[in-house]
Amino acid sequence: MKKLASLALALLFVLCAAGLVFAGGTGEKPAGGKITIAYTGFPGGQTPFWAQMTEYVKEEAAAQGVDLIDLSPTVADAAQQKDSVDNAINRGVQGIIIGSIDNRAFGESLRRAAAKKIVVVAVDTAIDDPQVTALAQTDNLASARVMGQYIVDHVSTKGKVLILGGTLGHQTGDARRDGVKQVLEANGFEVIFRAADWDAAKALEIATNELQANPDIVAVFGCWDPGALAGLSAVKQRGLLGKVKVFGFDGLPAAFKSIKDGELVATIKQDNKQMAQVIVRSVVAQIKGQAGVKKLLIDGFVIDQSNVDQYMK
Amino acid sequence: MEVTSRISTRSQILKGIQPLIGLVVIYVAFAAASGTFRTFDTAQTILTQAVILGTMAAGPTIVLISGGLDLSIGSLFALVAVVIGLMLNAHVPVAAVVVLSLAFGAACGTLNGAITVGTGIPAFIGTLGMMKVYRGIAELLGANQDMSKFPDSFQAIGAGYLIPISIMVVCFLLVYVFLSRTKLGFNCYAIGGSNEVSRLAGVPVKKYYLIYYTIGGFFVAVSALILAARLNFTNTSWGNGMELDAIAAVIIGGTSLSGGVGGIGRTVIGVLIVTTLNTGLSHLGVSSSWQRVSIGIVIIFAVWLDVVQRRRELRA
Repeated sequence: MKKLASLALALLFVLCAAGLVFAGGTGEKPAGGKITIAYTGFPGGQTPFWAQMTEYVKEEAAAQGVDLIDLSPTVADAAQQKDSVDNAINRGVQGIIIGSIDNRAFGESLRRAAAKKIVVVAVDTAIDDPQVTALAQTDNLASARVMGQYIVDHVSTKGKVLILGGTLGHQTGDARRDGVKQVLEANGFEVIFRAADWDAAKALEIATNELQANPDIVAVFGCWDPGALAGLSAVKQRGLLGKVKVFGFDGLPAAFKSIKDGELVATIKQDNKQMAQVIVRSVVAQIKGQAGVKKLLIDGFVIDQSNVDQYMK
Repeated sequence: MEVTSRISTRSQILKGIQPLIGLVVIYVAFAAASGTFRTFDTAQTILTQAVILGTMAAGPTIVLISGGLDLSIGSLFALVAVVIGLMLNAHVPVAAVVVLSLAFGAACGTLNGAITVGTGIPAFIGTLGMMKVYRGIAELLGANQDMSKFPDSFQAIGAGYLIPISIMVVCFLLVYVFLSRTKLGFNCYAIGGSNEVSRLAGVPVKKYYLIYYTIGGFFVAVSALILAARLNFTNTSWGNGMELDAIAAVIIGGTSLSGGVGGIGRTVIGVLIVTTLNTGLSHLGVSSSWQRVSIGIVIIFAVWLDVVQRRRELRA
């Protein structure tokens, strides 16, 4: 026992010492001055929006002739994503793109990146830190107001509207909630808001319970398409399809299919391809010493039965 | 008689060393394969990333050796984090937040112990129940709360390398002294080896279990404090699945799930194996899904080694 513990403690030092010994060859600088950037986004396995984003970021990096390392975690765990940023810094990348799971988690890592003159940019969700030098995102508030107006125009009876939200305090989800809520309340609707933590299973549970508890719900808005589709399932299970109208946000293929089938009424299409292109170009430009795009708000637009065919492949 | 005991000590030591050899092999292999891995910065990062899992795993080490099991620690982690966030939001002085959250974690640990030994419900079920209870309470308390932007003096607990790593090392030393120098610690092995024999020998088994679970809860709070300070926010979804990560690290190190065998040194190695694998694979550009697969294989391999050796011992 004693031997084991002392061995283990000795090992802590061996690890550090080994690091020191090897430190002579501090990192391989990319050959031929090729730029390497890291990307860490929301886990794509959980929402197709982010799976697409990863692909678009990779495509654009290839188009720009830079190497891209994908360090996205598999679960929506802010601590894991912070670790991935630290790992990117140690790997000696010149730029990091963060699509944050929680935008509040990165303070200390960002200061380390600054010390090593690594360019850090954000995609989809803003990170409130001076070290983050560019942001590409959907204008969530404006797009949500557009959706709010669309709901007002398409729901004839004034009643309660259930909003299925993301994680509370998450900038993107809060903006979508606020945009829709402002317009609805200004037009005499009552809003019930529930945070579903970007988790479709949770959204289904909440929607089922709320529909049961509030028979006067006239519409459901999901702050992200998988959440909206979960809300739609709850509406269908209660036999309320057509009576309670469901609206989404994201513009994912599954939502388009549902709109075409006449179930989901409408969604906001986010242009994640343009987002990925803009942010990769910005980070590369900044690494090369040019001024990149600082903040680019990309407008979302409504997709409903009138135009869904154009966007289905 | 003498001969058998000597053989078993030798095989015990051998068993303890295997994970260490594994760790060294893994580290050297990554260092050879990746230039960015064999840097001082990366070694520091590995140790820092080990802090949350390491402090968390200190508790299950004791609980598993004693033959117990606590599945609620992941949810308790979230609950303690929420309590920390709420106290800081209410401008409770940082020193008081630290003391109160440690006491709160320990008290919840005691409750877990009481439910298990008091009712005779198997630990698996009792703490599975508490896992739901803690998560639910965390969600109730943390709903509609923005718990972030904590005072600098609180953030210092998790900042940089030195403080968090030192806290982890102190935790390990405390557990080491507890297990090897105290009566409670010796009896931990005895109870884990045979609950019934210990009871007949006059060991107050139930009381001791309460203490082991209490220590487990205390280390959960240490871990939650460091992560809250490091990330500068807390929320109710923390710690999902962390109970199993901690138990996995303890088992990879060579502590037995059936009790009676193990030690904190092994846990240190288990934690470092997991962290080194994750960091090393990400330096090689392996996706985090494959990192999970590899951890899974390591768990199976570690326990398989243990099983094979036990069989050989029985034959000898």
